[in-house]
Amino acid sequence: MIARTLTLALLFIALLVLAIGMTSASAAAQDDTGPGTPSDFASRVDLATLGRIAVHGEGRLKSFGSHANAMMDVVSGPRKIAGQEPAFTYLDMMLRPDAYVDADVIYVKNRAVREDIAVALEAAAARRPAMGADLSERLAAFGETGLLSPRLLRDPVLQPVYRALEADLIKTAKQIDAIKSALAVMDARFLLSRLRIVPPSGGDFDRPWHRIDEVMFVPGAVAEPSSFVLLAERTAGVPDIDQTVQATIADAWRQLVHSWTAGDADGVNAAASTLSAALPTVAPSIYPDQNRLGWEQWYFAKDQLTRTWLIYMASVIFLLLSLVYRWRPALWTGIGVFTIAFAFHTFALLLRWYISGRWPNSNMFEAVTTSAWFGGCGAVIIELLVRRTPMRGLFFLGSAATSMVALMSAHFLPVYLNPNIGNMMPVLHDVWLYIHTNVIIFSYVLIFMAAVSAACYLVWRATVGGPAHARAGGAGALLLANVDARARTGGGVVNRLAAVSIGEVLDGVTMVLMELSFVMLWAGIVMGAIWADHSWGRPWGWDPKEVFALNTFVIFLMLVHVRLKVVDKGLWTAILAVIGAGVMLFNWIVINFVITGLHSYA
Amino acid sequence: MPLQPSARDHDSALALYLLLMSDTSPTPALVRTPARGPARLLLDLFSSVPFGISLMALLFVYMSLGSAGVLYWTSDGWTHAQMRQWRPFELTEFEWFHWWPFDLLLLLLATNLAITTVRRIPFKPVNFGVWTIHSGILILLAGSWIYFGTKVEGDALVARRRLVAEVLTTAPNGTTTVAHRSEVVVSPGQKLSIGDGDRRYQLEVQSIDPEWSMQSDEFKGTLAYAVNVLVRRDAPDSTSFMRQLLAGHPEHTEDVIFSGDAAQPMKRAKKELGTAIIDPALRLSLTYEPQQWFYLRTELSKCWALYVRDAKKNGLNENPWVERTITGLPLYNDYIGDRSLVFQDPSEQPLPLDPIDVTVNATDPANDPFPDLAFRVTGFLRYATMRSRFVPGSAQSPLNPVARMLVTGPDGQRGSYQLVALDPRSNKADEGVLQFRYVANEAAFAALTRKPTLRFVIPSLGIDVREPISSVALSNRDVPFKPLPVPAATPDAATKGYAYRVITMQDDLAFASGASSVAVVEITTPTGAYRRWVFADPALTRDVTEELLKDPRAPKVIGDPSIDVIYEPGHGLALVCLVAGPQPEQLRLISAIADEPTVSDVSLNKPITLLGGLSAAVTEYEPRAVAELKPFVVPRQQRERDAGTQFAHILLEVPGVGAQWVKFHSYVFDEPSDVLRRFPFDPSTVRLADGREVEVLFSRQRLSLPSPVALDSFELTTHIGGYTGETGSIRDYTSLVRFDADGTWSEQTPVSMNKPVEYGGLSYFQSQWDPPDQARFEGDRASLGLNYTVLGVANRHGVWVMLFGCCVAVAGMIYAFYLKPVIKRRQREAVYASVAAAATARASSPAKVLS
Repeated sequence: MIARTLTLALLFIALLVLAIGMTSASAAAQDDTGPGTPSDFASRVDLATLGRIAVHGEGRLKSFGSHANAMMDVVSGPRKIAGQEPAFTYLDMMLRPDAYVDADVIYVKNRAVREDIAVALEAAAARRPAMGADLSERLAAFGETGLLSPRLLRDPVLQPVYRALEADLIKTAKQIDAIKSALAVMDARFLLSRLRIVPPSGGDFDRPWHRIDEVMFVPGAVAEPSSFVLLAERTAGVPDIDQTVQATIADAWRQLVHSWTAGDADGVNAAASTLSAALPTVAPSIYPDQNRLGWEQWYFAKDQLTRTWLIYMASVIFLLLSLVYRWRPALWTGIGVFTIAFAFHTFALLLRWYISGRWPNSNMFEAVTTSAWFGGCGAVIIELLVRRTPMRGLFFLGSAATSMVALMSAHFLPVYLNPNIGNMMPVLHDVWLYIHTNVIIFSYVLIFMAAVSAACYLVWRATVGGPAHARAGGAGALLLANVDARARTGGGVVNRLAAVSIGEVLDGVTMVLMELSFVMLWAGIVMGAIWADHSWGRPWGWDPKEVFALNTFVIFLMLVHVRLKVVDKGLWTAILAVIGAGVMLFNWIVINFVITGLHSYA
Repeated sequence: MPLQPSARDHDSALALYLLLMSDTSPTPALVRTPARGPARLLLDLFSSVPFGISLMALLFVYMSLGSAGVLYWTSDGWTHAQMRQWRPFELTEFEWFHWWPFDLLLLLLATNLAITTVRRIPFKPVNFGVWTIHSGILILLAGSWIYFGTKVEGDALVARRRLVAEVLTTAPNGTTTVAHRSEVVVSPGQKLSIGDGDRRYQLEVQSIDPEWSMQSDEFKGTLAYAVNVLVRRDAPDSTSFMRQLLAGHPEHTEDVIFSGDAAQPMKRAKKELGTAIIDPALRLSLTYEPQQWFYLRTELSKCWALYVRDAKKNGLNENPWVERTITGLPLYNDYIGDRSLVFQDPSEQPLPLDPIDVTVNATDPANDPFPDLAFRVTGFLRYATMRSRFVPGSAQSPLNPVARMLVTGPDGQRGSYQLVALDPRSNKADEGVLQFRYVANEAAFAALTRKPTLRFVIPSLGIDVREPISSVALSNRDVPFKPLPVPAATPDAATKGYAYRVITMQDDLAFASGASSVAVVEITTPTGAYRRWVFADPALTRDVTEELLKDPRAPKVIGDPSIDVIYEPGHGLALVCLVAGPQPEQLRLISAIADEPTVSDVSLNKPITLLGGLSAAVTEYEPRAVAELKPFVVPRQQRERDAGTQFAHILLEVPGVGAQWVKFHSYVFDEPSDVLRRFPFDPSTVRLADGREVEVLFSRQRLSLPSPVALDSFELTTHIGGYTGETGSIRDYTSLVRFDADGTWSEQTPVSMNKPVEYGGLSYFQSQWDPPDQARFEGDRASLGLNYTVLGVANRHGVWVMLFGCCVAVAGMIYAFYLKPVIKRRQREAVYASVAAAATARASSPAKVLS
């Protein structure tokens, strides 16, 4: 009992440390510096209405909220400016550019690059005291948050620094490109030019949408703000759109600009309503569904619901309690919490599907979250099959731990798992891609879940357990357990938790998951080969991603055969299952970010 | 009545259970003879599961090393390297995975798998799964052996159209014959000369609209590939015009003329002159440009080749290229035997000396024009660009002053510039603000110290005045016109209407005939307003007209000859002018930053303070510099990631003649007229000891396609809003191709992403496209793209065998994991039932138990 408590305590502490670490990281990410805290104006602007306006770009129609998210991502990376929503910052940067000239809003990712910049600026400040009294404070903050102002980043003393860093295409050129993109994107004229919000008349699917500045000079009741001539070339409007409609749009836009610069939130909200009502009337047939845009705006405002990881974590805690103490209320609570988490997860996935109009599996963010969701589905199905065995609840545990890690990564590492929705590359439009990627990510999540139970087994072995393994590993365990147990107990009450050791149960869980992932990984690789055969001209090209998928499979081949030969089957199975998951993660992380993109050191 | 077995029965049940479990392990029933010969030992080794596991572990290590490479610690921190790219290996991924150690590993594993299965896994229902999996894997390996053993993969560049130009002559009896014929591939900016005498035409593909919406009633709205050819005839009276050709619609070919009307500069000849073709003696048409070759891919395996042909001077070379395979050449690293052969970045580690010597013999002596000539490749550079650098010449070297200047700004910013005084393209920096000149005498030096000046001469009024240029209007459209600075005695009325302003100045414009400086001046005279290019050489001065802008060779026009303007450049736009001469070693610096230019003597590395915190120093100076052309080895961190072998060079040695660097070409074109945008064509000519000349080109091996393929059309499918220049807006790329089926063209066949086409035993894939592109250098034309496609070409023998093997393995896995437990469950239930039955029997006859 003491050992068991110890095990639990260990696991619990590990989780707690992880959680605290992550929440403090989250706090750091949220308490961003910027030009002050959200003002009264910022909090009263109705971003929901503005966010629902459709913007055309990159071959997609997205909500302004999600468009702003993508654009502000180029400027401030994962940081939020002054706690403002990206949609607010976008408009504010465009309409009050002066407020941002010396605000620390541009995100520099690489710490070494931050240091080079800080050193050069510090040296320049020694010669030019006029650069600002608070400069060293700001530079210290810059070292931490990575945020610096456009004025400082444009300082001529940085030119030689940029030139030197740009010369290295492998390590630092990308960082300087990012700074230059950020400077270019936050230009008011650029931000305005990306507001393709006026649909083409007649609803022609193949014609690009018009920029608001093509319409905003059309005369109407509201006077033209003086800033307009600085922002865009004067035009007479779009020839084939009804002039009165254009005047309505232009008036609403001008009103919005006036109210914004005057800090009049009510005025902005009224203008936004008029604008969002007037725009669809230009071409109702192709204007996207208002509901969809609203949901898209909401989805991005809620951080893609990635905070669900917290619910998953609660479920992990209860399910661990149930595993260690065999405590029934903990089991049921754990399953209940898991169900809630899985419901949120499912909702987020379906919502993303609805918003993007395609099954979410075409970028890293989607692959990770969808894969974790598959794990949840797998767990639900397997749990139905094992509901009468000692293994019950453990698949939920595996899935909850996996989804927790996946959603945490999505939540805290948006730099790597970019949540913005884009179109798929043409090469990805294929039914085999759908089957292949889904099967592969399903097998990957099973591998991870197997590693969770294997890790639990190893902890158990390290603390209390002795050599133990499931007598009939894998699916056999499900089919044979009842037969053996019935024989053992004489057909009486079966599935007593006490009948077998935790080690045996955990090993059984690992084997069930391992067998399933073994078949799916193989099938997934074969399907990938079928896709590659007609897409690239060869089924197998020894591409690092392929090789490491095969390498993962080789580890499981070894696992199956080692299990045949060794005495301590449970231990070796657990070790190899963890190694297999390591190779799988290596494929997902190192191969994706380092090997195939050798020039993307971060 | 429920079954109640005794404790004893329980034990026997467990014993049975263990027995049943044991059949997943190899049967221990092998008969072992005490003395085992080596053959037997080998057989036992190959029947061993641990041996198989060891082979799998080795396979894992081998695959990881080849694919992910190695990570090791150096003084710079963790370093990642692709081991297969190291000098001893020089292997592509594909080659690493077909290298003998890998093949051997697979062979051992396959043997182990086969022998163990046969010897140690009894062929009975519970083991059918394992047998099936193992068979599937062996079938897969056999399929891979066929597939990779016969694998051929490459790409074919297919242009969309070829322009055929014919000059017709009409005999007195009315019959027309083709007097001249010439062809060029359709690509923006491609040029062609054809005909002779005053029937000599200069043609240029001015623009291409791949999606031209047709105007004629019959085809209204149909999209066609429109090629606009600028036609100029070498005759004094002829005017230029544009001929528009539409692919697939030769009957709609028509000429467009320059109208001189600013509102509509181009007008259809049909409407203006009543004839669609204004010069019927020139016949232009579009034909397919079939491709008959595909080139093997260097990414897959090294497939270098040297192409040779007899060089022909002055004219089209119609000799075919003959391919020579180069084997033994590396791929990833640089190999030289002498560091003086290349330039390197001084901050880089010097290249190791690691010479190679690869002989390139005629692969096909029957067709090779030089069957006995053996080339040698003695150097290889993976990534280099040819660069010219200046090195000090000897006392006999011609005068060529070259200096390096370091300019330091008030903020500590520094700029370093190499300036060549006698080269008008590289004697300036920072848009002409910094210049380097050579003067032959003091008078020329004195001229340089003067401000740029305009001299106005109006002979009728006896006016001849000079005025220094104080401002230019280039960036400021509001510079006012200034009246001429005339002597007070001149009557006002006479000069009324003469005013000027300077738009810009340009020093040392290079022409074919030399160089001259120019000021662009707008003048108003009593007769009107003119924009005039005022040259330092008055013979070149002319007014800017529409014709001149279209064609720089248009005849000279002076709108109002009553006034002469002459440009005296002085120091021109230069604010800082470094001057060499008249003594070659003498250097002086003219600073024109202040109102009055100042002159200082210059010595090396001594900074000269200019105005506003600026200072300048000459850090290097060589009066008789000699240019050296060598490949510059681009440092690794500056190499474009996706460049592949584009920048590879070999050092080609011709026995008894010498060596020269030859650069890599992705494709082998026959003529410059075949070259498409983005692809280089720069064959080298080698003069042999016997005076013959060989043209050589370094490229990839190529194979002929079973049927030549032509690109009929190329379509871009987009997401909502059409193609916006963002890749995210593209949904698919489709090449509509036709194959040459024994002289007739096949049906139009679409090849798009994920939808390859099989023809004549090869599969064709959509691989690259021609995106729209801005003009890339001065004189270049912008392109709307879609003028060519690159098709992947590959064979796929054995694919079905591989697929069959994989499916068999899947079936085996499902059997082993999910059917076998069912079988075992039944067996075990039967065993328990019999145990229970036996127990019941025992209970009824205890005597038997006692016996």
